[in-house]
Amino acid sequence: MFFQQKFRLLSFLISVIFLGLIFNIYNLQIINREDAIESVNIQTLDTFYIASPRGEIYDTNNNKLASSSLEPHLFINLRKINDKNISKYEQYIKYNFTDLEDIFISDLFESKNLMVKVANITELSFDERQSLSSLDAFEIFDFPVRKYEYDNIASHIIGYLGEPSLEDIKSFPLAAYSNIVGKNGLERYYQKELAGNPTQIIFQGSEIKEIVNGSPGKDIISSLDIDLQIVATESLLQGMQLANERFESSNKIQKGAVVVLDIRTNEVLSLVSLPDYNPNNFVDGISNREFNELNITGAFNNYPIQGQYPPGSVFKVVAYWLAEQENLYPEGLSSRNGKIDCEGSLVFGFNDGSQQVYNDWKEEGHGRVNLSSSIKESCNVYFWDIALKIWRDYEGTTSESILQEYAKSLGFGELTNIDLPYETSGVVPDRNLFEDWAVSQPERVRAEGWLGGDLMNLIIGQGAITTTPIQVANAYRTLISGKLSKPYINLDQQDNKELLLEVNETFINFLLQDLNSVTNEGGTAHASFSILGNNVKDVGGKTGTAQNSGDKNNTSWFVGIDSISNPRYVIATVVEEGGSGSAIAAPVTRRIIQSLRGVNPTPVKFGEITE
Amino acid sequence: MINRKITILGPEGTNLTLLILFLFLNFISWLTLFTLSDGLTFDLQNSVFRQMTFSILAIILFFAITYISLDQINNYTYLFFGLVSLLLVLLFTTDPKEGVRRWFDLGLIDFQPSEYIKIALVLFISKSFSENFNKVYIGLISFIPIALVFFQPDLGTTTLLLAITLSMFLVSDIKTRTIFSIVLLGGVSFFGLLELGFINSYQLNRITSFFDSVDFAQSQSRLAISSGGFSGQFFEVEKINQIFIPVQSTDFIFSAYAYQFGFIGVIILFGLWAFFFYRVAKIIVSTQSDFEKFVLAGFSGSLIFQIFINISTVIGIIPVTGMPFPLLSLGGSSIVATAVIFGIINRIFIENNVVI
Repeated sequence: MFFQQKFRLLSFLISVIFLGLIFNIYNLQIINREDAIESVNIQTLDTFYIASPRGEIYDTNNNKLASSSLEPHLFINLRKINDKNISKYEQYIKYNFTDLEDIFISDLFESKNLMVKVANITELSFDERQSLSSLDAFEIFDFPVRKYEYDNIASHIIGYLGEPSLEDIKSFPLAAYSNIVGKNGLERYYQKELAGNPTQIIFQGSEIKEIVNGSPGKDIISSLDIDLQIVATESLLQGMQLANERFESSNKIQKGAVVVLDIRTNEVLSLVSLPDYNPNNFVDGISNREFNELNITGAFNNYPIQGQYPPGSVFKVVAYWLAEQENLYPEGLSSRNGKIDCEGSLVFGFNDGSQQVYNDWKEEGHGRVNLSSSIKESCNVYFWDIALKIWRDYEGTTSESILQEYAKSLGFGELTNIDLPYETSGVVPDRNLFEDWAVSQPERVRAEGWLGGDLMNLIIGQGAITTTPIQVANAYRTLISGKLSKPYINLDQQDNKELLLEVNETFINFLLQDLNSVTNEGGTAHASFSILGNNVKDVGGKTGTAQNSGDKNNTSWFVGIDSISNPRYVIATVVEEGGSGSAIAAPVTRRIIQSLRGVNPTPVKFGEITE
Repeated sequence: MINRKITILGPEGTNLTLLILFLFLNFISWLTLFTLSDGLTFDLQNSVFRQMTFSILAIILFFAITYISLDQINNYTYLFFGLVSLLLVLLFTTDPKEGVRRWFDLGLIDFQPSEYIKIALVLFISKSFSENFNKVYIGLISFIPIALVFFQPDLGTTTLLLAITLSMFLVSDIKTRTIFSIVLLGGVSFFGLLELGFINSYQLNRITSFFDSVDFAQSQSRLAISSGGFSGQFFEVEKINQIFIPVQSTDFIFSAYAYQFGFIGVIILFGLWAFFFYRVAKIIVSTQSDFEKFVLAGFSGSLIFQIFINISTVIGIIPVTGMPFPLLSLGGSSIVATAVIFGIINRIFIENNVVI
């Protein structure tokens, strides 16, 4: 039943509320109009903004990575420049600042701004400054100068600054005023926090009427360990140098990444991307030539979070977990201890009578292998047998993508959501994706669609799958800790969600033991780790050598664990076109592990070529 | 079937006042968007042309709906309600975009079922009320789509749906005291769940962060509204500078309108809507059908609440919620949904023999 009385009362109440709104608008448009117009004029016309000092960035041991200091700069008040005095000022600047180019000076006077910055005058004496400020149109203001204390080290984490583009202004409207914005790294991800509020220089006509001081930005304490970052960068460079000496590659080997994660918290201790750049060079603007050179070498890519590589054998850990969890072993086996005969290749027939041969990297085969020894020796045949089992049991059913589901629950195919910009997600292929690609990018897939061979490729980290180094490190961290969460750099994190995984102590112990066997005698990475002596019994890892299409050399992978008895850190190393994982990426990781264990790092030595 | 005195525009007829109001409000939207754009060009990237295209679609839809009789609407209400609710469930199978699941990606356009649940919910409650079903069950069933929208998550639409439900229950014969006790209980248990962590707190972060700092867009839009003054800047020769406001063509379009047309313009816009609601209220009081009364009250409640929330956001007295201004904001799905509402209201006018 409709209640007329209540309806009338409600309508009356609503009318009153709306009269209130109208009254509010009346206040804005009629009563308080003058104040607002003053603010609009200030905002649009007569205010010049000077950026406040950005928040400083520290590493976890309180070493300053990026500092801000206020230094006196000379500005010209362009409202006081007219046809009569322009040449006088031009001459004056040319005479006093001999290293400024003529074109730069004449551009200063063309600016549409209220003021322009001429030069840093920290070096000038008191008298010289006095004589400058005696000229009517010159003004001296403190201007923040950003300095990156470690030059190229951690350049991709810290990022660099530049003039905001239109896109930047859309994301950070306030950057339009101070005319400076973080272009990459933490400088960009935390632009809002770091930038603070700019100082306002308010003009009335050509005179400066008022200066409203802004507020400096917030400091960031990061999880980064700069000493470790230095060791990791050196190690990766040494590894690349070795690779360039030992391999004949058409391209120079210079791209790579290292990720070090704290297993307990998922803090990022180190994140190396090579080639790198010196963020200090951007502070006063960088020439187009320099910028293009950096761009061509790929220095602006942050490979640990943007490089998308097939993971190769480091991906086998996904199938390893699946096998244990689902009790799904090669046909005829019922536990991790059951063995198959690895004869170096796998032959199987298709319905149409044709046969396909899959060759393991070791031609003569690995002999009798079980789950543990296939990790230790990186035997492909054992894992292909698992793939075949999945295919034969589940093809066409909803469980067909069980391997992909396990991969996704370790974070593959999705952003890790680390606090850095421009992360990429990589791809975990399945039947649906291939069907999508058949429409959108037909050149990438065969007409037959998703086949058993694709699953066999996937299980050893080959084929269409791509992963970023941080995803791989994060996946191992997830398995060992039993928790999936985002890796992070800024220690001030709120709302960090953790997803608990179905792994038990027994499984983690098995996994750690098997990872340990890789670096131990008989394992693929033993040659690279034997220098650790007795300690080799306490470290672990997994090698990976991922094949690339075309004439690109293999991608060299290694994921290391600093200690089996007390696992604290997981380290993932990638060298693009670095060849065998056990030969290059493994010794690079070994050197970083030495540093993490408090041992003096010994030089990176070429390991053994396996896989 | 009632014999109509006059029929204008089409066999089933159209209420002239309603049609003119609808066209005029659309026209105001074009004009405001035009002042924000670089001019009119004939491609869909141009906001004015885009809005005009959607307006024309909306007008066609408005006329199409006049062909559907109220009896038919009444008959298909449960089916419609069930169908839209089902779509809301199916949304959870889609991939989230920017963390939310609100749209079906249909290639050229995105389909947003929550726009239609606003209509379906009003029809559902009206029909159940007019057939005197158990009010407790009606309330519980209404809550299903609201919960689905909440978990998309879409806090703005959730609030709107709650407001619609509340307003319709308020004008029914349930004791006001009972309704307020339930609202109070619901509110307390909601914040209880929030405290215990059953509900994701980031959905409410916007509200809590509002009290820390005034939103940049809101302080800018207040300045823009003030700049409009008494008669606006549209006809001025020496204009006051326009300032930058994020999302001005959608959620903050009222600030652009107030800047261009001033306090007079605001009064005219309020006047048009007030006239519309006055005409609707007259039918609510005079019609014999409970179904029609509830439908009209529900739709009015929905539109009034959207306008109220939008203006309150733009003048900065509540946190930013992302609610469009009906028929003024740029955006296809909102216009189309509002056209459906106007179409059904028109049909009610016609069946009550109100043609002017």
